[in-house]
Amino acid sequence: MAKAIKTVSTVVSKVEDLGNDTKRFTLVDQDDWELPPFRPGAHIDVHLEPGLVRTYSLCNEPDDGRRYVIAVKREREGRGGSAFLHDRVQVGQPVSVSLPRGGIALDPEGTNVFVAGGIGVTPFISAIRHLDRRGLTNYVLHWASRGQPVLPDMIAPAIKAGRVRLYDTTEESKPIIAGIVGEFGGSGLAACCGPDPMLQAFEQAVATWPDDRKHIEMFTPPKLAAKSDVPPYELYLSASNKHAVVTPDMGLLGTLESMGVDVPVSCGGGICGACRVRWTEGLPIHRDRVLSPTERQSELIVCVGDCAGPRLVLDL
Amino acid sequence: MDAQAIEKKPVVTSWQGVVRFLHKTPRAFLPMRTFPEIELIASRGIDGDRYLIGQETGFYSHKPEEGRQITLFEMETLEALKRDHGIDMLPEEHRRNVTVEGVPLNHLVGRRFRLGETIVEATRLSTPCRHIEEILGKPVFDPMINRSGLNCKIIVGGTLRVGDTVRPI
Ligand code: FES
Repeated sequence: MAKAIKTVSTVVSKVEDLGNDTKRFTLVDQDDWELPPFRPGAHIDVHLEPGLVRTYSLCNEPDDGRRYVIAVKREREGRGGSAFLHDRVQVGQPVSVSLPRGGIALDPEGTNVFVAGGIGVTPFISAIRHLDRRGLTNYVLHWASRGQPVLPDMIAPAIKAGRVRLYDTTEESKPIIAGIVGEFGGSGLAACCGPDPMLQAFEQAVATWPDDRKHIEMFTPPKLAAKSDVPPYELYLSASNKHAVVTPDMGLLGTLESMGVDVPVSCGGGICGACRVRWTEGLPIHRDRVLSPTERQSELIVCVGDCAGPRLVLDL
Repeated sequence: MDAQAIEKKPVVTSWQGVVRFLHKTPRAFLPMRTFPEIELIASRGIDGDRYLIGQETGFYSHKPEEGRQITLFEMETLEALKRDHGIDMLPEEHRRNVTVEGVPLNHLVGRRFRLGETIVEATRLSTPCRHIEEILGKPVFDPMINRSGLNCKIIVGGTLRVGDTVRPI
């Protein structure tokens, strides 16, 4: 039965130890084919093993279309993603990743002010490399690190040209964010990625700025095929005697897949009918464009369907 | 089917089109590359493409599909997307293998026709895939319904080149 491929298969082509508990991983296609495109500062989900998926910003630039480069700092207090990458991922290993998402909508004319803490610099490295490739110099990066910064090689020309202000917080005080962005209050774009206190200071500093002129790097969740807006409900599969709860972020199809049910899926958008399933109880919400009113009385297109009541029973 | 429906069925007897672009990609989600020629293998697919039967690595790789050995798309649809929806879609973005011009794809289901020196048989209309919006970042799913191209089986293989003629048998 069909189980659609959901990830891009890549291979680790390079692992570099940059010191300071940081490693840089380069992912490529096995035949060096172009990878799906991305915007400056976009991020990908890296599927490390079942149940272990982590999101990292790409630090290379969109024109470098055959590689995904990520830099990962080992988080001693982390939940295992960075440790797995540091300890278990080697050159030659296959790694599945999501399609890239997000990215920074750079201002082509006004000044782009980037504020980064430590490894939070990665999306801005991508953005700076993108701007540099185009010969654009309308940016400035304020980058605070404890000790030596870890990826300066990737933006060496920008550092040389004086467009990067480095702060070693073991020796000097942290950047005053309000002062930095205040200078550009009337124009341009301000973006920040770093530890929580830095993000909070940044948010305060740009609180009155219009939304399209500020960017706080937060990883955006994958877009669902059909956005679910109903409260969670119980799902019971009568033929296999399995229960689960369908939450808006998992959706009906996602829940079925997580239960190990192999539903044939083709279009994923409610138009082909591949994923029709019989239902026997509940208040199904039909969002497809395939079933007739009569068919809807006993069948549901699960890639876009949902339930308006507390419980849905499917004949699976 | 009643008599009226039969009467309404379009009869397409004389047409002749041309191959404008050729594309393939070895794996799901990877961008399509444009080629001046591709190799069609009878009953299997395109050499090096993700849906080559026996070596599937496409989006539906667990579901080898007999009838999707090669896929076609109309140049005219790209023009219509631009005209009616303001969407710029490049030939390498629709994710079908062959972009043709002057070929009434929607009327060919069930028929055999010539693609250059090869012969293919149209099995069904393609349906768009939600992922195409994610891949392209363009809202093309709805506009592509009913004009998403044609899936075909390869009856007689051979080399297909840009500029080759497409015609009925
Ligand atoms: S997969 Fe096409 S309708 Fe659900």
